[in-house]
Amino acid sequence: MRFELFIASRYLRARRRQALVGVITAISVVGVAAGVAALIIALAITNGMRRDLQQRLLGSTAHVELMRTAADGITHWRSLTQRLRSLPHVTAAAPAIYGQGLISRGARSGGALIKGILPAQERTVSSLLNNIREGSAADLAPSTNAGTLPPLVLGSDLAAQVGAEVGSTVLVTSPQGELTPFGLVPKYQRFRVAGIFHSGFYQYDSSFALARLADVQHLFSEPDVVSVISFKIDDLYRAAAVGREIEAAAGPGFMTTNWMEQNQELFRALRLEQVATFIIIGLIVCVAALNILIALTMMVMEKTRDIAVMMSYGVLPSQIRRIFLYQGLLISVIGTAIGLAVGYSAAWVGGHYRFIHLSAQVYSLDYLPFAPRWQDGAIVAAVALLVSLAATLYPSSSSAGILPAEALRYE
Amino acid sequence: MTEVARIDQGDAFLRTEDLCKAFPSGNGTLTLFRDLNLTVRRGEMVAIVGESGSGKSTLLHMLAGLDRPSAGAVYFGSTLLGKLTAGQAAAFRNREIGYVWQMHYLLPEFTALENAAMPLLARNMPKNQAFAAAARLLDEVGLGQRASHRAGELSGGEQQRVAFARALVAGPGLLLADEPTGSLDASTADSVFRLLTQLHTAHQLTSILVTHNLDLARRCDRTLRLRDGQLQQIPVAGMQPDQTPPESTADTGTSNVQSSCVRVQAPGPA
Repeated sequence: MRFELFIASRYLRARRRQALVGVITAISVVGVAAGVAALIIALAITNGMRRDLQQRLLGSTAHVELMRTAADGITHWRSLTQRLRSLPHVTAAAPAIYGQGLISRGARSGGALIKGILPAQERTVSSLLNNIREGSAADLAPSTNAGTLPPLVLGSDLAAQVGAEVGSTVLVTSPQGELTPFGLVPKYQRFRVAGIFHSGFYQYDSSFALARLADVQHLFSEPDVVSVISFKIDDLYRAAAVGREIEAAAGPGFMTTNWMEQNQELFRALRLEQVATFIIIGLIVCVAALNILIALTMMVMEKTRDIAVMMSYGVLPSQIRRIFLYQGLLISVIGTAIGLAVGYSAAWVGGHYRFIHLSAQVYSLDYLPFAPRWQDGAIVAAVALLVSLAATLYPSSSSAGILPAEALRYE
Repeated sequence: MTEVARIDQGDAFLRTEDLCKAFPSGNGTLTLFRDLNLTVRRGEMVAIVGESGSGKSTLLHMLAGLDRPSAGAVYFGSTLLGKLTAGQAAAFRNREIGYVWQMHYLLPEFTALENAAMPLLARNMPKNQAFAAAARLLDEVGLGQRASHRAGELSGGEQQRVAFARALVAGPGLLLADEPTGSLDASTADSVFRLLTQLHTAHQLTSILVTHNLDLARRCDRTLRLRDGQLQQIPVAGMQPDQTPPESTADTGTSNVQSSCVRVQAPGPA
């Protein structure tokens, strides 16, 4: 073993009779390094994308939501919320009412999902109110500032779309109109923009507006009902099981959804993207392995006479095979080590300085996230080494098959 | 059966028995030698001469187990070389046979010391022990001061001395030298040959030397000529380069007929 490694490492370092072999060897090392680094960076990005999207999503949305199967509103929501909050695994619960509306300011308008909340409870299940960028959510507390316009907190992109700022007055139009002697007319209500939040999750920032529960009930002409009761639970990944317990506790006529169900297509797409990225960028490693195969094959041809001489003083064919096997593995190990160092460094720099900006409208995130994981490095290194090992099999076995008398006969 | 060196087999260090070598050539078979018998005593220095292409190097390859005979057998004492597995044959070569070529065939990436130590390193002997043994041999061949030089930094004669050190470092009993002075000028060739004879004596070797140089051949214990596929002993006195020895048993070494070479398939060596 020591002998084979001694020969292999010297062969790798030595200047060659055929410069081309040295060039291809160098290209092999660079190729493996490039492939490994690219894989680490790409996996760090896809992983970061998934992690950040999940974080933002979970910050903005509840883990489990309870609603009426018939969508007729939850009437006894106060007692129900109180009761369900004490269930196992439930850490927080908050009621909310949702309604679709049109928010307009002058000639500019935008569709919005208007959520009526009780801020003190909402804060326990969602971090939207913690992401107020301008203004304040304090006005959303029930029955404050009676007599003035009701407060509204807009998502940042929605605010930009309608041209609203903190203090602006906006008109919210409910499609559920009022019946008048002139027929059904939409219901209007003026709101005062009290704050603007920015969650970093485009879906929320572009379409969400938060208002007081009672104001939204009034806007949509609803009695004292809520649409959903939102829950935070202690284990994200038990959302489905806890949801079933909540359903059972709530009684008949209720159903739950959870964050995984609501976003399963997003996460499935991210998973698919990660697999596809791994395969596509992994092809770089395969190309590098091809270089290893070429470099070793040429080296075996160059060393045919030396191999024959080694056999003459008793070096076994299996030792000859291992010399070239180790040489291929050395190329791969050096390339992989360089690739891991470059990949993790680049991923750390990218994650730390966030110097690559994205269009939030397209990617939901306004920067390219990097989340390198050591598991990815282990998998990538193992794949690179295995692919390289496969590439060394042919040249190393051909080296062991050299017949010394044949090789020396024509020297 | 042509017995050239009529020696009691019980005294034989190395012996071939009806050795044949034939190659496929075109539509026929090129028979290089047929029923070749050679017996070498322990401690003997035997020279083999012959024209280019007569099969001298091939014979040495078969004696070392580097090539397969078409038929016949090679014995080291009572060991039949062809019966050994590849691993056993390699270990046997490592232990028992030193080989020197016309071209030194040193590994250019390694120093003289490392080259000389190779047979021991191949056994996975610890480096310090292998290098100590190699350093002793390099001292013995007069290259102790050049141990750290790479092969390319040495002259032809020096490279050949390193090759001798490499051949002998593992303490073999048999030295096979294939035209070891063939690429050297007369003066260097003479000094290398003197080194060979010194090493032969000092290491109590049995040596078989292939050479074109009849002057050197004369200085060996016996000289055999390989001609027409047979070995013929040449009388030492009055030997001329192109002389046909009187006891020559002329035979067709090259033929397209099926010879006894195909009678026995020799067991596969390494």
